[in-house]
Amino acid sequence: MAGLRLTFHLAGINNQNFLMRDEETGTYWQQISGKAISGPLRGSQLTPVHSDELTFGAWRGEEPQGTVLEDVKKYVPEYAHEDWDVSMQRARTVIDFHEHGLHARDLMLGIQAFGTSRAYLYDQVIREKLVKDRVGAEPVMLVVGPDGQSVRAFRDRIPGVSGAPDFYRQADGMWLDAATGSEWNFRGCAVSGKAKGTCLEPVEILKDYWFDWRNYNPATTIYGRK
Amino acid sequence: MIDQDRSTRRKAVALECGCLALSLFCVIYPFLVIWPFRAQQPGQLAAALMILRFGPAVTLISAGAAVVAVVLYWRAQPRRWRRVLPVAATVFTCVLAWLARVNIYEMMFHPDTRPTFRAAAQTKLDNNEKVIAVKIGDAARAYPIRSVSYHHVINDLLDKVALVATY
Repeated sequence: MAGLRLTFHLAGINNQNFLMRDEETGTYWQQISGKAISGPLRGSQLTPVHSDELTFGAWRGEEPQGTVLEDVKKYVPEYAHEDWDVSMQRARTVIDFHEHGLHARDLMLGIQAFGTSRAYLYDQVIREKLVKDRVGAEPVMLVVGPDGQSVRAFRDRIPGVSGAPDFYRQADGMWLDAATGSEWNFRGCAVSGKAKGTCLEPVEILKDYWFDWRNYNPATTIYGRK
Repeated sequence: MIDQDRSTRRKAVALECGCLALSLFCVIYPFLVIWPFRAQQPGQLAAALMILRFGPAVTLISAGAAVVAVVLYWRAQPRRWRRVLPVAATVFTCVLAWLARVNIYEMMFHPDTRPTFRAAAQTKLDNNEKVIAVKIGDAARAYPIRSVSYHHVINDLLDKVALVATY
């Protein structure tokens, strides 16, 4: 940012979404948006890096050569349990939005893309396993991984193939598309058929509580709800 | 001479009270506004962050001024027991200058300032444990949510790209 490599620190909270402060300029940044909200770099925006929230098993299967952040041993007793986000559903919030029949701590999968924002109830996506939808005018699909917990989103278009691909899911967690008859894996890449070697364009998902997602996306629409 | 001492004492006490009030404000206002269990209003938050930025300098100047004030008071106040309160107020103003530099959030959630990493094959995590996965070029990294949700901020360098993983 501005020719500087910034080092961030936890520095506060804004309606239960935390603030970071960089030690180089003293600027305060909002975690969810990556926007500078106070200080010399106010108005700047950090560049998002694509990330997925996966189970370790799913990730290691894809990236056996990858590396993992190690625990800081002396703080391990203070770390959260594995189902931290679920147990947090009972915690109180300081803001709430009584809309769409959602509760403040409902876990949502949010997409900010194609000029709009749209959210999906996490439990609903897990149940449906393959969600075909539109974000703005763009066809998008959300797919649940073979572990039954990890979710990714892709543009529902096969590069170089005209028309809607019409994906459907197989029992083993792979999916097929009717347009090319190809088999696709959870990374969104065709592993057999005419489209073999082709990968779908990923769409960033943010897993967040309803109150926090709604607070920063006031115009959000919700899949399956009016 | 007595009138001059009295005038000096009054000015010193006024200065000291002003310094103490200013330092208290610089420490307490952001603390009250950025309190996790209350809603933050945009205007209040902007003011609190501004005070957090300039508070360390303001409280340091304030502490310096309080020390000058207490020295002046000491010289103009012959009764020792009457010096106690101004001295205590000065010490408290100095403590506030220190408090304005304390990051209570990092006291609660200790930062992982030197993150270390291990090969996936050597990592003994449960397969169901959730991670934030990032890939840049050929370099893939996983940040277990169990630890990142405690430290909240991990400054990292992956394939020569500086990034911050947050949760």
